[in-house]
This record gives sequence, C-alpha cells and structure tokens, in this order.
Amino acid sequence: MSGVIKRRDFLKVAGVSGAGATLTACNTGEVEKLLPYVVPPEDITPGVATWYTTVCGECAAGCGVWARTREGRAVKLEGNRGHPISQGALCQRGQSSLQGLYNPDRYAGPMLREGGVLQAVTWDEAETLFAQRLEAAGSNVLLITGHTGPTLSGLFDRFLAGLGGRRIEYEALSEAPLREAARIVFGQDVLPHYQFSDAQLIVSFGADFLDTWLSPVEYGRGFARATAVTGAGTKGQFVAVTPRLSLTGLNADEWLPIAPGAESAVALAMASVVAESGGGGAGPYEEILEAYTPEEAARLSGLAPEVIRRLAERFVSEGPSLAIGPGVAGHHRNATAANLAVLVLNAVAGNVGQTLQLDGWAGQRARPYTELQQAMQGSGAGEHVVMVHGSNPAYTLPAASGFREAFQQAAFRVSFASAPDETAELADLILPDLHYLESWGDSNPRPSIYAVQQPVMRPVPMFDGKQTGDIVLSLSARLGRDIGAATFHDYLRSAWDELRMSVPAEQAAGGTGDAWWRGVLKSGVLRTTTDQVSATPALRAPESALSFDPPELDGENGDYTLIVYPSARLYDGRFANRPWLAELPDPVAKIAWHAWVEMHPDDADRIGARNGDVVRVASPHGSLQAPLLRYPGIRPGAVAISMGGGHTAMGRFADGNGVNPMTLLPAAVEQPSGALVYMATKVTVEPTGVWQRMATIEGADDQRGRPIASAVELAALSVVSESASPEADDPGKEEHTAAEHEELQELNLGGGFVPVPTDGGPEAYPLPGSQYGEYAGAHEMPRWAMAIDMEKCTGCSACVVACQAENNVPWVGEEMVAMGRSMAWIRLERYYEIIDATHAGPLDVRLLPMLCQHCGNAPCEPVCPVFASYHTPDGINAQVYNRCVGTRYCANNCPYKVRVFNWYTYTDVPEPMNWQYNPDVTIREDGVMEKCSFCVQRIREVENRAALEGGRPVADGEVVPACQQTCSAEAIVFGNIRDPKSRVAQVVANERTYRVLDEFINTQPAVSYLKKVTFHPVAAGH
Amino acid sequence: MATAVEVKEPRGAVPHPDITAHSDVNRDVLAILGRPGFGWWALFALAASGVALMFGSWGWQLYRGMGVAGITKPVGWGVYITTFVFWVGIAHSGTLVSAILFLFRAPWRQSIYRAAEAMTVFAVMTAGLFPLIHVGRAWLAYWLFPYPNSRFLWPNFRSPLVWDVFAVTTYFTVSATFFYLGTIPDLAAARERASGLRKKFYQITSLGWRGTDREWHHFGKAYIYLAALATPLVLSVHSVVSWDFAMAIVPGWHATIFAPYFVAGAIFSGMAMVITLTIPLRKVFGLEAYLTTKHYDAMAKLVMLTGLIVLYAYLTEFFMAWYSGEEIERTAFWERLFGSYWWAAWVMLVCNGIVPLTLWFKRVRHSIPALFVISIFINIGMWFERYVIIVVSQHKEYVPFAWGVYRPSIVEMSILLGSFAWFGFWFLLFTRLLPPVAIAELKEVLPAPMRRRTHDG
Repeated sequence: MSGVIKRRDFLKVAGVSGAGATLTACNTGEVEKLLPYVVPPEDITPGVATWYTTVCGECAAGCGVWARTREGRAVKLEGNRGHPISQGALCQRGQSSLQGLYNPDRYAGPMLREGGVLQAVTWDEAETLFAQRLEAAGSNVLLITGHTGPTLSGLFDRFLAGLGGRRIEYEALSEAPLREAARIVFGQDVLPHYQFSDAQLIVSFGADFLDTWLSPVEYGRGFARATAVTGAGTKGQFVAVTPRLSLTGLNADEWLPIAPGAESAVALAMASVVAESGGGGAGPYEEILEAYTPEEAARLSGLAPEVIRRLAERFVSEGPSLAIGPGVAGHHRNATAANLAVLVLNAVAGNVGQTLQLDGWAGQRARPYTELQQAMQGSGAGEHVVMVHGSNPAYTLPAASGFREAFQQAAFRVSFASAPDETAELADLILPDLHYLESWGDSNPRPSIYAVQQPVMRPVPMFDGKQTGDIVLSLSARLGRDIGAATFHDYLRSAWDELRMSVPAEQAAGGTGDAWWRGVLKSGVLRTTTDQVSATPALRAPESALSFDPPELDGENGDYTLIVYPSARLYDGRFANRPWLAELPDPVAKIAWHAWVEMHPDDADRIGARNGDVVRVASPHGSLQAPLLRYPGIRPGAVAISMGGGHTAMGRFADGNGVNPMTLLPAAVEQPSGALVYMATKVTVEPTGVWQRMATIEGADDQRGRPIASAVELAALSVVSESASPEADDPGKEEHTAAEHEELQELNLGGGFVPVPTDGGPEAYPLPGSQYGEYAGAHEMPRWAMAIDMEKCTGCSACVVACQAENNVPWVGEEMVAMGRSMAWIRLERYYEIIDATHAGPLDVRLLPMLCQHCGNAPCEPVCPVFASYHTPDGINAQVYNRCVGTRYCANNCPYKVRVFNWYTYTDVPEPMNWQYNPDVTIREDGVMEKCSFCVQRIREVENRAALEGGRPVADGEVVPACQQTCSAEAIVFGNIRDPKSRVAQVVANERTYRVLDEFINTQPAVSYLKKVTFHPVAAGH
Repeated sequence: MATAVEVKEPRGAVPHPDITAHSDVNRDVLAILGRPGFGWWALFALAASGVALMFGSWGWQLYRGMGVAGITKPVGWGVYITTFVFWVGIAHSGTLVSAILFLFRAPWRQSIYRAAEAMTVFAVMTAGLFPLIHVGRAWLAYWLFPYPNSRFLWPNFRSPLVWDVFAVTTYFTVSATFFYLGTIPDLAAARERASGLRKKFYQITSLGWRGTDREWHHFGKAYIYLAALATPLVLSVHSVVSWDFAMAIVPGWHATIFAPYFVAGAIFSGMAMVITLTIPLRKVFGLEAYLTTKHYDAMAKLVMLTGLIVLYAYLTEFFMAWYSGEEIERTAFWERLFGSYWWAAWVMLVCNGIVPLTLWFKRVRHSIPALFVISIFINIGMWFERYVIIVVSQHKEYVPFAWGVYRPSIVEMSILLGSFAWFGFWFLLFTRLLPPVAIAELKEVLPAPMRRRTHDG
C-alpha cells in the first residue's frame, strides 16, 4: 500500500481533528473542576443559604445578628429581628464584620518573637512556653481585655483568680464619666438607659448616639420613632447643644453652637430655670443651680440668655423630654461634672424613670484609663506577664501615657489578637483568637438580655487560630488548675445551664437541656427577667467638689480648641483595616480613606485655607498634617479631627491612611471618673502650602433649590385625622387639572409628551405612556418600588455597607475615590440648607440616600446601543453585565448619576476576602457598568420560593433589600406598589411623597421619597 | 496677421494663470511622487513614533483597564469622544469640497479637493478608532453592529450610538469610494512615469485606465452619482454625531440646534484643516501655481461663513439657557463660562468666534501666513468646542452632590497626540503615493492648449 492519502481518509482526519480543535478551544483557558460532596455535610444544600444567629462582637452594644452562610461560608450579616437591642438592624460597622473575618492580614497561626522577628510556632510549643512563663510570673499577671461577653469574662476572672493576677477591661470609647456621674447622683454604678422613642424633645449636649455612642442601632431606632410625624401632626424635636455637629448633630432641628466645654453651664442653667418654674427639686444641687443662671451660662457658652431660658422652658412644656450628656468627643477635664449636670437636668425635669432609666444596665464594664495606667506601672517589675485581648492601647492611648514603654518593660507580653494591631506588634507571643463569627461566646448587654454568640462557620482554614477561651482552659490544665471543661463551648454550655435556672418558666419550657439549648441557638436571645425599673432615687451630693466651668486646656497659645471625636466608620480605630469602612464616606465629611481637619469656613478664611489645603496642627504634645475641610457645622474657634486613622501596624488597608489625633493629646486624666481626656488641648493650625485632592464624594453641598432633598414644614402638613386633603375640595383646581390633562393627552397623541401624575399613589401605576406599559403581560406583574422617608433617615450609611456586602460591590481605594470613581451603589447625599455656627437657631441639613431610581421612563435605557440597560416587566431597570460593552452613555444620561463603572477589575481581592462574595450576584469585570439592582437576587429568590411552595403569591414584605434590612431608622420600605395593600403603596400615599427631579424630566422613578419635616418654614421648591 | 479670436474665458476666470500647458500639470504634480527627501522621512518617522505611542497607550489601556484614562464619574466621556467628534468634523470639508462644490460647479475646488478628500478619509479613519478606544470592553464592540446571531440579539435601534455606527461607517465607505474613484485617472497618469514596484502599485490601482472616451464617460457619470450620494452624507453624519448629545438629557447637550450647529462647526473646522494642511503642502512641493490666493480667499470666505454660524449657535445656546429660566440649564451655561473649565470655553469663544472675524478683511484672506495662523487657532478652538460641550456639560448636571471634575490622564493625552500622528502618517504616505492635486480635473479648467493661438503663430 502506498503512502497516498485517499480523499475520504483525508476528510475523516480533517473532520475529526477540526472538531477536536474546536472543542478544545471551547474553554475559558482555565480548567475548573466541579466535584460533588462525597459525604454531603449537614445543613449545607448547595445554592441554598443557611442562617445562624449570633451576636455582633464589634462593640459593647451587643446587637443580635443573623449570619447568612452559603456552602459553609458566611456571606452576609443581618440584624436579628428577634433581638431586643438591634431589632433587625445593624450599623455600618457591624455590617463590615465579614471583612474582619476574611481579613487577609490575620495571623496565620501562633507566633513567637525571636530576635525581634515573629516566627511561627505550633500551638503546643506556644502554650507550653506560655504556661512556663505564667508559672514563673506567679501572681504578676495582668490581662488587658476589651469588651468581652459575660462567660468569657467570667472564665478570665476565674483563671486569673487562680493565678492571683488581675484583669483590666479597657475601651477607648468608654463612658466612664457618665457612669461616675450616675454613681454620684443616683448612687448606682450603672449607665443610664435612654428611652428615645418616648421623648418628644431631645437635647443632646454632643453625644453621638446615632454614630458610635453606647448603642447606636437601638438608639437610632428609638430616635427615628421619636422624631417621626404622628397622625396627630406632631413630631419629636431634637436640639443639639454642641460645638461640633456629628452625624447625630446633623439630624438636629436646632443647633445651639456653644463654646467647647460649656455643656455643664448650659445644662445647669436649664435645670435652674426648670427648677424655678416648678420642676422637681434639685436637692443638694440647688446652690449650684443658683450659681448657674442663664446669664452666667450665656457668658460661658456664647449663647444668648433667652435662648437657654427658652429651651429650658420648652424642656418642660414640650416634653416628655430627654437630655443626653456630652459623649466621648466632649470628654474634657470636667467631663464627669458635665454628665452630672445633664443628669441633674433630667432629674429636675422629671425624666428619670421615664425617658432615662436606671435599669441597671452595666453594658460597658470597661474600667477607666487610670486603672489601666496604675496596673501597667507595676508591670515592669519582675517576671511580669502582660496579656492583651481585644484591646489596642498602644494605638488608642496618647504617646504621653507611657503605655508602650510600660508594656515593653513587661517580662513577657502575650497578645490574643487575631489580626495585627499596634499592641500585638509589641508582643512576644501571639496566640491568635478566632473571629467572633468563628467562635463561641455570649453577651449580656442589659441585665435581662442574654444572647448566644455561636460560630456561623468553621474557622477560615488559612488562619490557624484558637479561641482564647480554649487557650485559657488548656493553660489551666497545663498549670494543674483544671477548670473542668474541655472546651470553651462546654464551659459556655454549663454557664448557660445555670442561666436557665433563672429564666421565667414559660421561656425555660422546651424540654430537656439540649432541646432548650437548640431553641436558644435558634432565636439567639434569652430574656431572663423583665426590665426592672427602679424607683426614682433621690439626688445625692458629690463626695468632692466638682467644677462645672469650662475645662482647662493645654496649649494656651493655641488658637483653636481641638475636638477629637470617635469615627462613625472606624470607631476608635479598630476597623481601619476594613476597606468597606475605609472607603465608606464619612457620614458628615463625606471623605473616605484619609484624614481631614474640620474648621469653620470663617476660620479657614482667616488662615487662607481652601478645602484640601494641607494644614499643620500642632499642640504642646505633638503635631500632625492633614488636609483641611471647611465645615460649617463646627463652631469658630474649634477644629476637629476624627479618631481611627494613622495606623502603623494594622494591615495593608489601614497602615498609612489618615492621622492619629492621639499624637496631639496629653495623657490627661479626668477626675473623678479617671477617664482619658479627649478635649484636652488647644492647637495652632497653619497651612503648609501643599494642596491635596481629597477623596470626597461630595460635588457640592448646596442643592441650589433643586427639588432633590425636599422638606416641608410641620405646620404645613395636613393632619391625617382630619378629612381628606383640602386641595380635593377645591373645584377650581379639579377643573384646571382636567383641562390640563386633556391638553397633555393631545400632546401625548402627538408623540411628544407624557402627563405626570402628581400623586404617587398606587392607582397611578402603570403610569400612562411609561415604559412600564411597553411589556406584554406587564399588568399582571408586580411593579417593584421603594419609599425612603427622609424624616427618618439619619444618614448613618449602614445601608451603603450592607449594599456593598450583598451585591459584591467593590472598593476602589483612595486615589480612585479622589478621582470620583467610588463604586458604592448608594450615595448618601448631604446638603446644607440652614447651618449657622455663630448663632443658636434652626438647623436644616438634608440627608438623602441616592440610588438607582428604577425609572419608568429611564433615560439610561434608550441610549444603550446593546440593550445592556434593560427594563424588566416587573419594573426593574436591569443592567445586563455580560451584555454591557462599556460605552458609558447610560451613565451620562442618568440624571441621578447613580451608575458606576468598573474602571479596572476591582474584584480580584486578596484571599480570603473573596470568600465573602455573594454567590447569587455576578462578579463584574472591568469595562462594565453597574448600579443598584433593587437586590434582584432577593426578589427572584423569594419568587422562586413562592413558586415552589405551590405557586403562592409573594407576600408583602417578603422581599427585603439589603439596605432596608439594615436600616435602624426603618426609613426604607420596599414592595410591590401595584398592590394597594402593600406597605410601600400605603407609605407612598402620603402628601410628603415626591420623586426626585420627576417634575423636571419625567423619569417616573420607582423610588419615592417622603419629604423631611422641619419646624421652620421651608422656601418653595425646597 | 494676428486675427485672434476673442474667446471669452469661462466664468470664474482662469484659476491658474501661470500654468499654460497640460504637460506642466503632469510634470509638476507627478514630480511630488519622486524620491522623498530627508524632511519627509523625518516627518514620517515622527508620525510613525506617534502612532506607536498611540497604540502603545491603547494597548496599556486594554491591558490595565479603562481606569488609566482620566474619565470618571460624572464625566464618562472625555478626551476620547472629544477627539472622535473633532476628527469626524475634520472629515467634513473633504466631501463638501469635492462633492457639493462639484455639484455646484465651483471652479476653485479642483486644486484642493484631492487633498481635502484624502483628509476626509484619513480623518474618518482616525475618528473611527476612538469609539473603540473609548468603550470599556473594546473586544465586544462588534455588538454594536446588527449581525445575525443565534441569540437573535440586535442592537438597540433607539440608541443614537447605533445611528452613529451607521452614519460613520456609511460616510467612510462612500467617501473612501469617492476618493478612490477620483484618483483613478491620476493613478494611470502616475503609472506612465513610475517604474519598479511603484509601477506595479499604480498598475493595479489604476484598474487598467486608458483614458478612452467611453471610460471618461463612465467615469464622469459615476463621479457625479457618487457626488450626489455623498452630499447628503455631509449633512447627515455630523447631524447624527450631534444627536449623540442632543438626544441625551444632559443640560448643555439637550438642544434642538445641535444638528445644524454641528454641521456648520464641522465644515468650519474641516475647511480650517484644509488650509492648515495645504499651505505647507504647496510650499514644500512648489504648488503655488496650483493653489493660489484665489483659492485661499474662497476657502477663507467659507470659513468665515461657517464661523459666523457657529458663533451664532454659541450665542443662541447662552441666550436660550438664560431665557429658559431653568436654574439647572442656567447653571450649566454659567459654569461653562465661569466654572472650573472657564478657560476651555474662552479658548473656544476666542478661537472660533473672535479670531475668524479678521477674515472680513481681504488683506487677511490674501495673506497666506495669516490664514495659516488663523486656521491653527480654529483647529484648536474646535477641539475645545467639543471638549466644552462634552466635558463641561457633564461635570455639573442635575444632582449637585454628584458634581465632579475630570482631568485628562497622560494616556488620554498620548492617544490624542497619537491620533494626529496617525492622521499625519497616512497623509504623508498619501503625498508620496497619490497625486495630491487632481491632474485630470485641473486640466479641464486650463485653457485648451491651442486656444488663443492662430495657425500661423
């Protein structure tokens, strides 16, 4: 046979090889293996989420959490609706916990410092060494912890009691002065608990109860309820008496810009007016009240006496009222006195036992700074072992405190930090704890409330951590002091079995221990007894004389009082390594990533500084440089810097970002509480001549009268209890509308115009001529819609982070944000309408969450050349990512500017941060446009579930987008607006309803806003 | 006896009084196609490196992502679209000169139309790159074309960008065909003188042209039909480009005046570019006899006319913004003049509105250096006009909180520069490969060789 290839053979070979080449070319370059489970784990159904209850471990507030897990990975946190503190909501910091869990900078395992370098060791080696050092140290053992749950605290104390050691709980943002004041005045060592929802006039002397103060989620909800408009046409008022407006302050109806440190004087003057006009007796404080007349307070605070007197009168007449202390930013050298003055004001106004309750809440057990300092002073001697758990004093204390030096003198330093921080960086031995989402624990935020913290997933495998409770138990065993539990879980179980005995019978029901325990795990919370409201105690005199005058400040030659305030994003700095929070624009300044110095525009003019001019801020204790922000919400004569920046050893996202204002502070101690003083010094501010493009999302703070964030005066609202709106009774108006309508119809037939229904009620849908009607069968579909009540929205920005977590929205970094490339799907806009730092008067700041409006006549849809921007039959303005070519025409044509573009592929995040990605949502690559989808994955999930459950209709309220879910103010309502019985339809049927820019450009948005309600007249068009 | 018959010269007078013989035309024009000198090579090297810079920058952008450009939110269209519109505008005058002026029998067009047409084709080639450079996923840009596919997915015919695709591709096809058709007799003329590889090139491209009556007849018919076809395109393509903006609701874009405004601007900028290009061309290649002040005078008049239309459009826009009473509209135009980009608007107004007014003076129209300088001003001004319309309008739209500032990045500027190099690259090749002045048509307007001669003299 010759070597000739026959034609048929050739065709066969060519065909087969051609087909083979084609088939092998049909992959994406990467071979991915899909392997099924050999033994499927329990609780895991691929594609179906499993939810676990737990407790947020980020601050002492103790909010309940529902953790959503998919295929064994935690992907989203939501508030536990059954939890009495969070009531279903979470704050922006709680939402970001997943980035703590998947922090790529977490310690990979136990490490020992040898020759100055951390070396990995095994757990056995580490614990053996640790046990040896503890034995050598004898009773010279000090444990510094942050806020810890009751069982772990108990275990620590039991362990240390065996050793003869001591535990100090230190939190930078503790309310020691408030607690001390309460102890002095009421004789009870508890923090007061505030019933915001019962108050009708709230006066805050600076406490940022919506940002960071004590329990912001709980108080945020209470505040929103207090200030909501009632059917009777009333609403609660909020007066901010503070030199600087925090986010909380921006929500005030009135602002009394007082001189820093004048809170005591104003509170006492108010109390004296109240007492004079027949309020409760001031008891031992009568003399003090006499000294602080409104005139005296006016002299100290810079307000007019009538302003103080008037507010005091209203404090009684417009009650129930509530006054709240200065908060952490107001911790000056007389902070206890200031808190005491506010408590006295509440007492004389009769608020104690009403809006202010002494129900024994010891929620923050943290000890004051002095105790830490004293304990550390002894730690240099001998074989002292100092352990740190959940606290970072090397960062949160001023350099002058000497903590670093004292810590470094200790013979052996152990850190239980799961991720690096400045204190762990000084430690000899690092025994990384598990993240709270991986470990057992509990919380006891109030005496009657207990909640279990259970692991929601197996520990992230790349980090070989161990729960500190387990380490303590293992050490006890090694030291021959067996506590009698093999694991912390067992220990916790036995502790809770004891707790069960104290539970009311109806809750303890549920059978034997295990069944009961499962029930507790399922609900996540246990109420032991009902809240005990103690009788109003008589006022007690202070043991020692207190000064109520403005405090002494360091730096006499400084021009500006320095206000150091807790960050609504980074708290005391602990969250700095979380890109979600670092990139979350500050709710007040709207700046992300870097630090800024707030200064009143008048002062800034005096030193000739524009926004972004880098200034040098110097105190007698140190100096720093940061760009200046001209902030109209700060009193002239003060400058403010946020806590939380300037980390040196916290991880890739934190280090080098911002400045740490602690460098400007002395290690001053407030007496008698022993707290660290934050308002301690005056500073000088001078421009450096350098300008920095700030990473701000704010284009302009003035809405120029455009109907974007609108408001209406309370008096202009019709009272619901009266008959229907007065306009309907005006026949002239009716006729006019009908005539107009006809004319518009004619125009409409001509193809050029669509009448805009003025009411946003459900009968308006489908809107005539809108795209809604273009789709076949559309009338059977729901029209998804959202209502946002600007009266309730506090601008806290929790929704922004929740949305990022839910929708895999990337972060982009400081440089990108500075260029305007922030990717967040929700932009919390902040417009100043009335803000005057020089006089007491009304304050009107509009806070508006702007997201895709899902327009009925969406300008983005017709311009997309490839139908990537597409209108679904159920009214969602969808963005088809894999169809998008990236012309950005839709973004240009979007009047709301809510479309964001992937300038790079931002989603290649360091392992294991990608574990957080929601598997229900596509990851976007570069060159693709994206925007709010109304959480379409949640809508489809609910619809699918309803279809599986016998094709039942989707119930109202079943679909909850991530933003609505986390909103503590309950400002967002979502649902099918075509169902007149749905909540959203009912909320929208309100005279305050408007749709942004709709009257101008006829976009017919699915998002309706409810106007903010003010007490002052609002100019037309606003 | 000199019994010369007085022959009345055709209307419009002899445009080229210095050229007497048809053979001169061949000689002068084809001399350009000889061996290039050092200057040409230097320019060519410069252009080639500019092209390399552009493609390098684009490659970097494709590799790293769109983020290397400075465009951002809210300014999603920046230098790329500005430059796209600029080049589409430049592309206008070529067809205007060759087609419309042909149909109107304007005698001064013959010596410039070849260069103008070449400019058109190369400008569209340049412009056509920019939508590709601009889109986020350039590798999927073919989705904008309506091609049959298994998913029955079509482009969105409501989108002005799809109209744009049609307008620009049609314009390119027709203007390239028109350009090529016009060169065929000249290619044949070049074929007769060339040798070697060049001869091969001309042999193929001249499509066997022999210059028979029949060929001339067909040529003339085809030319006039194509001219008739191209004429509406001059108006349509830039109208469609203008609708990219006018159809959007961006304040400063959404105006009914846009189509005529853009067409006038396009002719304005295109004529300015013709002046800019032909002045050095005539100098370098010694074509002063073919491109006379008479031609420049005519072009300058056209520039002046269109410039006045453009100025009128500017003033109308500002007036309408004020007259509308709309705060949003007013703010947009106030910001245009006095906002972050005030300098761009003033560059535009001065270069396009004020400078061309000097063309009222005949002395200026007849001064070649003055025209060159003015045309450069107009080129700059027209680029800034698009920058002002596109960028400045976007940076402050409806929602003040979302206002923002755009700064072009180094990559965008490299690509902008590179686009001029890319254009120059082709134009330089053109000057060496194709007769830059239309030989055949020029001969038509020359006096017949024997005219004015008597049989005895």
